[in-house]
Amino acid sequence: MNDRHESPSLEKRVSQPGRRVGDRYVRIVRPTGSGLRGHGGRWTATEETMEPTGRIGQAWNSALRFLIGKRLETEAEGEERVGVATGLPILASDNISSSAYATEEAMRVLALAGTAALALTMPIAIAVVFVLAIVILSESRVIRAYPNGGGSYLVARENHGVIAGLVAASALLIDYVLTVAVSTAAGVAAISSFVPELHDYRVVAGLALIALLVIGNLRGVREAGLLFAGPTYAYMIAMYGLVAFGLFRVFTGDPPAPVTPPNPFPQEGTGPLTLLLVLRAFASGSVGLTGSEAVANGVPSFRRPEETNAIKTLVLMGTIFATIFIAITWLSTTIGIQPDIREQETVNSMMTKAIVGAGTPFYYIVQITTAVILLLAANTGFTGFPRLASVLANDRFMPRHFADVGSRLAFNFGIIVLALLACVILAAFNGSVTNLVPLYTIGVFLAFTLSQSGLVRRWRRLRNPGWRVSMVINAFGTLVTGTVLLVVAYTKFEHGAWMVLVLIPLITALLYGIHRHYQTVHDALVITGPEQQHVPVFPAPLVIVPIARLDRAALQALAFAGSVSPTVKAVHISTSNASAEEFRRRWMQLDTNIKLDIVVSPYRSLLAPLLKYIDAMGKSDDRPITVVLSEFVPRHWWEWLLHSQTAFRLKAALLFRPNTIVIDVPYHFEDTSNLTRRR
Amino acid sequence: MQPKRILVALAGTSADPDVLRLVASIAKPGKAEVVGIHVIEVRWNLPLDAVLEPELDRGEELLASAKKVADQAGFELDTELLQARDAAAAIVDTAVERKSDLIVVAMPFRKRLGRVYVGRTVQNVYVNAPCAVLAYRQEETR
Repeated sequence: MNDRHESPSLEKRVSQPGRRVGDRYVRIVRPTGSGLRGHGGRWTATEETMEPTGRIGQAWNSALRFLIGKRLETEAEGEERVGVATGLPILASDNISSSAYATEEAMRVLALAGTAALALTMPIAIAVVFVLAIVILSESRVIRAYPNGGGSYLVARENHGVIAGLVAASALLIDYVLTVAVSTAAGVAAISSFVPELHDYRVVAGLALIALLVIGNLRGVREAGLLFAGPTYAYMIAMYGLVAFGLFRVFTGDPPAPVTPPNPFPQEGTGPLTLLLVLRAFASGSVGLTGSEAVANGVPSFRRPEETNAIKTLVLMGTIFATIFIAITWLSTTIGIQPDIREQETVNSMMTKAIVGAGTPFYYIVQITTAVILLLAANTGFTGFPRLASVLANDRFMPRHFADVGSRLAFNFGIIVLALLACVILAAFNGSVTNLVPLYTIGVFLAFTLSQSGLVRRWRRLRNPGWRVSMVINAFGTLVTGTVLLVVAYTKFEHGAWMVLVLIPLITALLYGIHRHYQTVHDALVITGPEQQHVPVFPAPLVIVPIARLDRAALQALAFAGSVSPTVKAVHISTSNASAEEFRRRWMQLDTNIKLDIVVSPYRSLLAPLLKYIDAMGKSDDRPITVVLSEFVPRHWWEWLLHSQTAFRLKAALLFRPNTIVIDVPYHFEDTSNLTRRR
Repeated sequence: MQPKRILVALAGTSADPDVLRLVASIAKPGKAEVVGIHVIEVRWNLPLDAVLEPELDRGEELLASAKKVADQAGFELDTELLQARDAAAAIVDTAVERKSDLIVVAMPFRKRLGRVYVGRTVQNVYVNAPCAVLAYRQEETR
């Protein structure tokens, strides 16, 4: 009997006599084969515990390992971090890739006022780079102040309050989803320039590319970085080569001849050159600033010293974007490149043709690397969204699953949810870049403005050495990004930006609602005060055992019920008086002192009368009710279909019944013995 | 002689993987049962069943590694962790208890005073075991 009360242990120490006196030894019996390793009540679940046993499970596991790689231990998290060289393609590809189309976006608006207005492209590009410089200066301060990531969300939450933080978070979440959708659409569009047959299947191609990005990202940050580093650097080398050659030709007195677009804008334009048009052109060019927030949000992805590496990456990113963007804009305007009204050919393509010639290998290198980096820009979304969602989930503003770390230390749930949302948007907008772009950039600038103004309040509050300089920088940043936000929202409102402006408060409310739920649950569950620091004593419950048929499974359930409490009641639902009598007769033959109640159900329903019976029992007795269900478990999954699964339905029905414990006693088909025989 | 029950003493040295591969070639033809044991020697000033955490961790680690090597070599290795005052006595007693017909012990190549050094445990197993003993000495490191 003493053995029954001994606390069970996974490790036993058995003393063995040796052949000679003094040769006694101790055999340490461990749970060999279970995958658990350890001793003294402290065990570690090794990878062996994760190995599935069934064939389907093993096949699935093998497929997963092939696609996303070997499982990583939590301790390997440090190795999964990235340095500047790998961090740049992961976190900065979105911003750097913007240099491929930012010039054209500004030109397309200016061209509406005639080709002469294109002369304003360069001043607009300088203004965009100026805003970028302000943003980078401010973001570097965000990195220093908030090295744990979360970026604009954390800054806004801590300095403006929860709602402002959630607004920033909602704006960024939307923008990350749009980054994936827009970049994929842009990448497919770039590829379909070479393969026109792909144009009709652009949505399918986009979805396939998103699936590829999902696999790459599920492999973990470091591997994703290694996968995507090559194309990013190839783009940079190609663009710098192109720009250098272009500048060489211009400065050596051999300026390239302009390439005429297939469908040029009317030379005199379609409208007047107004301030609003110039502002719209600036707003369109500001698309190049998207992605610059990703580095501040992903500081924990960097190797130590995280802040220094993040700031280096941020500055490098800004420098690369600015130099390529300014150089492309200057060369395009100097050469005299005009945008195509029907987007048949990009400004980038025409400029490359003008500098190196159409059909040359370098032309194709530039076009292919541009297409690939546009696609990979989507990866910034895959880096930013899951990390921000995990920060929100840890703060209980998003479902907990977003904070779960996958087998490769990536936030798998966030990655998959992001991919699904991007797929829906891509399909809804038919994979069109033009339709998607107006939705873009508002979120980023809203988040920028909130974080900049948040930092102003922070410096004012903390008054650290040099706070005045920091405050002036961030106040100026607030002014600039706030102005851009207003311009973007105003000029793009009717083109689709209204959707984002409607979505942001809705998502904010949703996040807040989730937080309230978690808070309520937390308040209900948390142990407060020393008076709650003990395990309460429970009275023996009233145990009800529903019996459909007197068989081995039922006997096993009754035996178990008897071990739980001295008060056990068996209940049988019978569809007729005759079958009720027959059941009682068989029960009388059973060697047991458990009392039986029979409920005759003339309408042949089993579940409803049983639930009413349990309700009635609950009213007549103060003790908690425990329902012990006997459940037959067939050998194969498909055999489930041949059984009525009453126990399963009953479990589902009792799930939300208060003060009720449901215990399932499974009876496996393979069982050759039952509890009585074991005893 | 085709052994049916082999006991391999594992000390956690660099010779362990080599000796396990050697055991694989002996055990596989006759489908012999192979048990790998590691003995933690407990000093006399401690109780025999004292919980020696670092030694236990190391023992578990090396037995888990041995299992991996055995898996790769294509045979099943049962493992056991023991605590004793004298490793050699525990190895011999376990072999007797398990009715092993071969004990395999490994020696990493070591020199003392210019001569190859055979440790105390290997010597005592060699002298006291009632069954066959195979001592594997690792090749000389250059």
